[in-house]
Amino acid sequence: MAAFADLNILYLPEKEALQKLVEAAAHLGYSTVAINYVVDYEEKKKEIVKPLSPTELFPALPLVQGKSKPIKILSRLTLVVSDPSHCNVLRATSTNIKYYDIFAVFPRNAKLFHVACTTLDVDLVCVDVTEKLPFFIKRPSVNVAIERGVYFELIYVPAIKDSTMRRYTISNAFSLMQICRGKNIILSSAAEKPLQLRSPYDVANLGWLFGLSESNAKAAVSTNGRAVILHGEARKTASGVVYTMRKPQTPEDDDDSAPLSKKAKTDLGSTSSPL
Amino acid sequence: MVRFKNRYFLCEIISEDPRCRQLIEERVVHNAVKNAVARIHGDFGVACCSIAFSVKYLNAYTGVVLFCCRKDFYQLLWSSLPFITHLENRSQHCPCSFNTLHVGATIRRCQKFLIQYNKDQLLLLLRNCTNEADRKAIQKSVQSCALVGVEQFQSEDEESEENVEMD
Repeated sequence: MAAFADLNILYLPEKEALQKLVEAAAHLGYSTVAINYVVDYEEKKKEIVKPLSPTELFPALPLVQGKSKPIKILSRLTLVVSDPSHCNVLRATSTNIKYYDIFAVFPRNAKLFHVACTTLDVDLVCVDVTEKLPFFIKRPSVNVAIERGVYFELIYVPAIKDSTMRRYTISNAFSLMQICRGKNIILSSAAEKPLQLRSPYDVANLGWLFGLSESNAKAAVSTNGRAVILHGEARKTASGVVYTMRKPQTPEDDDDSAPLSKKAKTDLGSTSSPL
Repeated sequence: MVRFKNRYFLCEIISEDPRCRQLIEERVVHNAVKNAVARIHGDFGVACCSIAFSVKYLNAYTGVVLFCCRKDFYQLLWSSLPFITHLENRSQHCPCSFNTLHVGATIRRCQKFLIQYNKDQLLLLLRNCTNEADRKAIQKSVQSCALVGVEQFQSEDEESEENVEMD
């Protein structure tokens, strides 16, 4: 059984509300949540903030329901793009971008949807569910996205809130399913209040309403979420093979360093001699 | 003669408002579920789900409800459960959400699951509790259910096995 993941929990400025939201997700059985920071260029010039670290948010992480492990909190950046120049932020050189685990992009028109599916270095492409789809989803771009391992995201909280939104959600979901045939979909919440969250099995069953088969719906809340997280992690590595991280500093680091390096050298020498 | 196959839904009603507990009654839950089915699947859905639909068990303290419907239409019912956002009595109105704990084919299976689930909840309570008196009370109840519960269960199991053999 793969662990469940909800990769879209909206970032709230009030820390207490955010804590309650994460606690509710842990109670429902989600092992991983991602806090979503949305940057919308149409509203006003916003800058990318540094995400909260889990230790800032919680002194002790809440336990997941049914398991004895604490919940895992990731950070995710969503760019709402309507112009190709907005995507320049995704370059590794821009500030604060390296702190995020997952990148998502919300394309507003057909051209950008194609760009997001084919060339942009993102993990998720969000599909609009609050209004009628402004463009047709084309099969070639979706096929490329599936090949690259980019996933499509459907959110379900608008459907719970309102009847007209529900109609748009279901019709947009069906038009997407016809193209991608249930592959590479993740279902996530975009919840602002704890009561809007639903348990993973309920969400998987909602997938039935969105035209997913039973196994695809279950994958949409479990294994596909994991694939997205791994896709995001692979960005920080060199070709997905080598990963560097800072060694935790210890006080007597200076004393040990000299003999260690010598030892490493001698080891290297001894191993290289037979070759 | 083949028996009719049912599906039993074991749900937890989550609410932030403690006044919501008073609202958890058989009729209120019945109406809430039925209205949700009507909103999502229309008249056809209500007609299908109302065959043998009934609330079997309800615990207002823990907010657990058990209801059943025919196996053929359980997916219609399940897919409308997430859309319940509030419970409603005549004048009172209280936001809540349904969390499906288990979907089973027999009441006995659901009961087993619920006992195990409640035991886990007790252990979680024990972990988070800060008050010494509370801690003692919870420890006592954990011990009592560990001993009595198992014995009861074993005897129940034996009884059921005997029943099967007798059949």
